[in-house]
Amino acid sequence: MWARWIVPALLGLVSFVTAKSSSGNSVLVILEPKLDKDNFSKFFSGLEEKGYELTFRAPKDTKPAILEYDYAQFSHVIMFAPETKSFSSDITPQSLVSLLSKNTNLLIALSPKQTPVYTLASEFSLTLPPPGTPLISHFPQRDDPATVIPVPVRPVTPNVVSSKLAPVWFSGIPFAYQNNPLLVPILNAPAESFASDGETDSGADAVVDAADKGGEGLWAGSQMGLVAGFQPVGGARATWVGGVEMFSDEFFQKELPGGGKPGNEQFAADVAAWTFQESLVLRIDSVEHHRVNETVPGQVYTTNDQLVFSAYLSKYNPVSSAWEPFSGIQDMQLEFTMLDPHIRTALPPVRGTPGKYSVTFRAPDRHGVFKFIIDYKRKGLTHLHSSTVVPLVPPRHDGYPRFLSAAWPYYVGAISTSVGFLLFSALWLAGDDRAGSAKGKTTKTE
Amino acid sequence: MRSFLACLLPLLAIGNVYASALTLQSPRFTISASDATQLRSEPLSTTKKPSALTLGAKDVLKVTFQVVEEEGKGVQPHQTFLRFYDEVSGEEGIQPVRVTAGGKAKFELNMAKPPASLPPTTASDPLKVELIIGSFVHSPLKMDLFDLFLPASQPAPQHPDEPSFHVRSEIHHTFQPDPKLPPKFISAVFAALVLAPWVVLLGLWGFISPSVPHLLSPSILPFIATLGAFEGLLFWYWVDLKLGQVLLYGAILSIPTLIAGNQALSTMGKWRAGRK
Repeated sequence: MWARWIVPALLGLVSFVTAKSSSGNSVLVILEPKLDKDNFSKFFSGLEEKGYELTFRAPKDTKPAILEYDYAQFSHVIMFAPETKSFSSDITPQSLVSLLSKNTNLLIALSPKQTPVYTLASEFSLTLPPPGTPLISHFPQRDDPATVIPVPVRPVTPNVVSSKLAPVWFSGIPFAYQNNPLLVPILNAPAESFASDGETDSGADAVVDAADKGGEGLWAGSQMGLVAGFQPVGGARATWVGGVEMFSDEFFQKELPGGGKPGNEQFAADVAAWTFQESLVLRIDSVEHHRVNETVPGQVYTTNDQLVFSAYLSKYNPVSSAWEPFSGIQDMQLEFTMLDPHIRTALPPVRGTPGKYSVTFRAPDRHGVFKFIIDYKRKGLTHLHSSTVVPLVPPRHDGYPRFLSAAWPYYVGAISTSVGFLLFSALWLAGDDRAGSAKGKTTKTE
Repeated sequence: MRSFLACLLPLLAIGNVYASALTLQSPRFTISASDATQLRSEPLSTTKKPSALTLGAKDVLKVTFQVVEEEGKGVQPHQTFLRFYDEVSGEEGIQPVRVTAGGKAKFELNMAKPPASLPPTTASDPLKVELIIGSFVHSPLKMDLFDLFLPASQPAPQHPDEPSFHVRSEIHHTFQPDPKLPPKFISAVFAALVLAPWVVLLGLWGFISPSVPHLLSPSILPFIATLGAFEGLLFWYWVDLKLGQVLLYGAILSIPTLIAGNQALSTMGKWRAGRK
């Protein structure tokens, strides 16, 4: 009896204490030996303080495997192996992609070197510059090499990183975004920066030639990405970072050209929070539908019924590790679809009931199998999808309006026939047999 | 020798850190039509932007300048980019400009053959054109050149799934119009017309004044009552009942009706036979 209550309570307590991400707290860090773990101590200890369990592994180690018996062993994988050309057999581009389909999140760092991971980036709609061409910027004037760049943080996708962050130090490669709405740009390059392998001013002609016809193109300007997320249909998140140094302790503390602390530490934490499904994670708890003035969902609905559709949404709160009702979406839409949407209408939040979104609408006068569909996709947010099938039938034989004024003559005719029949029956049965008695009288008199 | 190098190294280091700033010499833009007639030609200034430039569909914009050090010697910087930026749409295009070793640069924008780096444009928003000059040895230079109106281009291609990431236009179902009813007055007139034969009937009955002496007789009244109940049942069917209910109630009612009818008719037969 007690166990029934205590076990879930304890389980709830355990998850409350440890899990910070909505999808689990085990993290595998694949760290190449060239990178010193201590140089990323602030980033990693920040994750551990949040409650993540970090497991480290070199790219050529065989254990722990990322996939065992086709089952993902970790909730999140950090790939800090930007220069490793050969990985152990379980880390392949295919296995990384299959991790995403198993709701495992990836944080992947790149470098100017060509590696298997470098070539995988194009599958995520990122076009990388040719190997060996890091991002350089001569702006602003500073003492650092041109490849170490302070990048102002502009909000490309809202709410992924904190607002008003100080510029972050970056060193690595830019990438061009292909036309894919699943991409979530997080940090874009400064407008003055470009990818180049030149180290002196004499490389100027090579830059122009690259941009000319027949060259490999020019990766330049503020439309290039430095940090980009990718959210496939399953809801897992993959984040590509152009250079691993932006997570290093050195860049966390390096003073900005104008003085002041860079935003790297907060930026790295924000990027990890988004990637590990802590922030901007939504879900649909339940949906319900019924006729107006009823509360029970109908098995079937009739054409022209007034229908009420409601959805309950939650957002994950990483601070309390709990799902909380969320009413912050103003632009959600509901579709009532049979092959094509017949009705598409706004699904606004209900004031006073947190997390509830509701709309009332008149069912179309076409019968068939319809679906209530919510398909809410916005960059950076979890994609929400819900589909509920309901049959919409024409009125039953007695479901049509009666006592129409146009039919009054018919009603009157039918009723008067009935009344007439009753009256004649009564007259014939109970009436005086006058003819018979008259006949009798005459016979008597005769 | 070694001491000389030791002296030189810090000097070199200082020299490495941005020896001098770069400036532009005689920057100038020219707009000419396709038949080479000059439409507008003005020098550019670092301090004051000229009024916005407008290019027609076949016009040619030419920008020329020379990058020089402070001493007036031409240099070739590492980065000489023209940045076309649409502040409204956020679209941006970067076009590198070839600079000769003597620092001379010439950029031509022929609208008959626009370069691929040009961002998609609309007729209403100007492109902000900036010159970005970066170098490993000189201070960087960024200059606002002018605003440029270009003929509207094709919009940027859109991914087929892109609309589902934005608010989509609402869809309203077009309902069939409600069926129309004739005016109630006309219905009432025709209903009255249907009732009219009753007037004739009741009027004629007035002449013969029929009487019902046997109505309350115990053999006749039950039959008339059950017939009335049948009519009532049918009326009730019309107002409220379903077919199954009517069949059930009708079957139940038919038994007393049969009995009462048999009784009534045989009584009547006896009456008539007795009289004869």
